[in-house]
Amino acid sequence: MKKIIYPVLALLMLAGSAFTVISVQNWQIAEPYSISFTSNDASGIFKTFSGNIQFDEQDPSSARFNVSIDAASINTGNGLQNKHAKSEEWFDVTKYPVIRYDSRKVSKAGNGWLMEGDLEIHGVKKATSIPFTFSKTAKGAVFAGSFTVNRNDFKIGKPGGDVGELIKLDISVPVLKK
Amino acid sequence: MLKKSLALGIVAGILSGIVSLAYAKLYHSSLGADFSRVASPVGIIASSLLGGVLAALGYWLLDKWLQRRGEIVFNFLFVILSFATVLAPFGVKLPLDLEAPELFPGLAIPMHFFPALAWFTLKPLFIRR
Repeated sequence: MKKIIYPVLALLMLAGSAFTVISVQNWQIAEPYSISFTSNDASGIFKTFSGNIQFDEQDPSSARFNVSIDAASINTGNGLQNKHAKSEEWFDVTKYPVIRYDSRKVSKAGNGWLMEGDLEIHGVKKATSIPFTFSKTAKGAVFAGSFTVNRNDFKIGKPGGDVGELIKLDISVPVLKK
Repeated sequence: MLKKSLALGIVAGILSGIVSLAYAKLYHSSLGADFSRVASPVGIIASSLLGGVLAALGYWLLDKWLQRRGEIVFNFLFVILSFATVLAPFGVKLPLDLEAPELFPGLAIPMHFFPALAWFTLKPLFIRR
């Protein structure tokens, strides 16, 4: 019996070590989040933001950000400007209702973090890096970051004109542990 | 003439302000859009009063300079300016947390005509030729 037990135990231990259990921290997006944009002429916010966030400071390699913005939720504070922004000439929200970001890699960068992934706006997907900070709060945490996009890269609006080509996005997303 | 004109302007301004407030309340209860942070009751009354007083001064000046033609010129100018100011609400940038900014012109534009309406309605009571 002993001759069988020990080899079986060894085999079980060997098999068990092949499977590594990873505990990934999932976060639930909470309100009030803020997704705002500014340029030399137009500025405003996107009111609807959703997605899945996995992030663990101890294991950034397992981090995943799959988030989306409802393009039609844009608000510049002016009804005419909102209508114009949603039109075919700009975001064309009927055809491209969602702005999406899917991360591929998250790494430490100085005092903060850097996520690299694909940003899709207006049907155009482009590799985009977003620096961000992660701050723990009493109830959860806050992800915050800023980055700039060139609207011409995503074929939003015509080149030139009154609206600047560089659009700065400021994001602040409070999250709760799932 | 200046006293009568100012009296008319002030009364017309107050009346148009009251009507504007009633319209704002109706607009809010009908459509659910609340723009009181941007167009407050005090602001509405003050704007209407200012419109009335400016109309009074304009009427007095035109009556003094153009005499017989002063009134018709004033009437045209008052109406044209009322129409011209209608463009302003379309260009206003509201606070970003206000819902349905596209409903704001529907609230503000009619108010731009109330001072002229009040003026023309009350004028026979104050100024008789």
